[in-house]
Amino acid sequence: MEKSNPKQDAVSLGRRKLLSLGIGTLGVAMGISYLGLFGKFMGPKSVAAATKLQGVGNVGKFPVNTPTLVSYKGAGTDEGVYVINLGSEGFIALDFHCTHLECAVNWVQATKQFICPCHGGLYDIKGTVLSGPPPKPLHRRLVKIEGDNVLIGGRLV
Amino acid sequence: MKWLDERLNVSALMASLFAHPVPKRSNFLDYLGFATLFVFISQAVTGILLAMVYKPSAAEAYSSIQALQASTIGNYVRSLHSWSANFMVVLVILHLLRVFYEGAYKRPRELTWIMGGVLLVGTLGLAFTGYLLPWDQEGYWATTVGTAMAGYVPGFGDFLVNVLRDGAQVTGATLTRFYSVHMLILPAIVLLAFMPHFFFVLRQGMSSTDELAEAQHRGEDISKKSSPFWPNVALKMISLVFVVFIALWVLSAIYSKGLGEPADALNKSGYIPEPAWYFFGVYQLLKYFPGTLDVLAMVGLPIIFFVLLFGLPWLDRNPSRSPKKRPIALSVAVVLVIGMIFLTYQGMSSVPKPLAAAGVVAHPSYKKDVQPILQAKCIQCHADIATYAKTIEKVSAGKPADSLLIKRIDGSQEPVMPVGQDPLTKDQIQTFANWIQDGAKNN
Repeated sequence: MEKSNPKQDAVSLGRRKLLSLGIGTLGVAMGISYLGLFGKFMGPKSVAAATKLQGVGNVGKFPVNTPTLVSYKGAGTDEGVYVINLGSEGFIALDFHCTHLECAVNWVQATKQFICPCHGGLYDIKGTVLSGPPPKPLHRRLVKIEGDNVLIGGRLV
Repeated sequence: MKWLDERLNVSALMASLFAHPVPKRSNFLDYLGFATLFVFISQAVTGILLAMVYKPSAAEAYSSIQALQASTIGNYVRSLHSWSANFMVVLVILHLLRVFYEGAYKRPRELTWIMGGVLLVGTLGLAFTGYLLPWDQEGYWATTVGTAMAGYVPGFGDFLVNVLRDGAQVTGATLTRFYSVHMLILPAIVLLAFMPHFFFVLRQGMSSTDELAEAQHRGEDISKKSSPFWPNVALKMISLVFVVFIALWVLSAIYSKGLGEPADALNKSGYIPEPAWYFFGVYQLLKYFPGTLDVLAMVGLPIIFFVLLFGLPWLDRNPSRSPKKRPIALSVAVVLVIGMIFLTYQGMSSVPKPLAAAGVVAHPSYKKDVQPILQAKCIQCHADIATYAKTIEKVSAGKPADSLLIKRIDGSQEPVMPVGQDPLTKDQIQTFANWIQDGAKNN
């Protein structure tokens, strides 16, 4: 057997550490690349496409102070929107998902409230929370009157 | 065998798998993990079959399941898959409780416990993502509500919801995303966690074998206290699996899985969402948190759950494994388990039950005629009204016309109950009135 040379051993130890570091760095770099790919691919897309205005009917179709449920054709599915003619205050549009856990709210004409059947959240005609667990008012959506037509768009942030 | 042995030395491997002794006191509760593995394999087989006919798009998913349901064998395979999912959740939890009771998560088996925790989370994830795939009302709204919970995470809740759903709402894109998570990501995670989980058990033996190792170390003869794994214990194991297998196949044959109404994002039929039964405890718990504390329930509780689950081997510093010497750990666990069972029961019984059309009952009984209507129509908002003590507060015995209960349901006093739903029928209101006329007794 060859006699070991302490100086050479130290050099080879340093070399090994450097090599291990290299292996680690390359592995981690590749791993991070795939994670980044995953994150970028799955991340939220821009919402520009969803804000396109869509006609939902004639102004006359919406009686004053009676919310009407209409469908906004979103990306891949119908989106439920209440269109509300507030008379002199004009039109508003509310997303029909309760802000608590997003069950669909129902308009109850007898009490003039939006009611969520899941945990009993109550909103008034403008979507303001009256009682129950909802943390925020119903989400407003873009609404526009062009001539006689009511157009609605995406959520107002 | 000889051929394999010359190349791969398999007999040594086989010996390590099958030849070890197991204490005689070991019973079927020690084989729950094995039974879980069996059910997972059942899920893989039936899942592969379902994947051969299922079409993962919003336009076709429902009709592809409908077509599958039309054939007896297709319906049976789907029933097996659905029942296995229930079995898997139950077995994983029983397995966890057994391991907890035996103190088997303690040194040196902490890593086995951690991998088991990953498997539990993976199982619940599979159950949650699988629920959406038939694209029926049940799955659509349960997913809407379930993913909405992520929105309560402070700071990046909206971002999380968006990532989960691939959009602001549950859409066809969500369905396809859930499909790939259900089919690829979660099974991969479960397999990657299962391999070390299983390997650690082989390497260290079940915790009950430690006493044999100690006895052997002291130089005792352990042959009287133990039986060989193969074939004695293995037979017991496969017997348990066989019982599970029979239960699974029989239940799937008797109670086949139905298919609800197709998913409707506009919810025109006024469907009221409810979760799968194993999430009912959580569902019920949420009702007790007022709106302002929801963030605690939806973010705080899961964090506590994860810390407890994955931190248990280090949080519990008591080195003893004997149940008698761990009063605190066991009492805490008993309270949690009973609480969860109670909440699950409460949650499930708060869901309205369909009523038989009874017509007017001349002399109604509270329990037989009145309570079921309250349970079907009122308890969603008035959680406690279907008990006699609470019902009686709302009536004046002998005077139906003066009773608040009647005024609210017949429309003479606003708001008319039940709010947001169809009113009660004339027959039901008359039955209530007759009961009050008779003195509103607890009969």
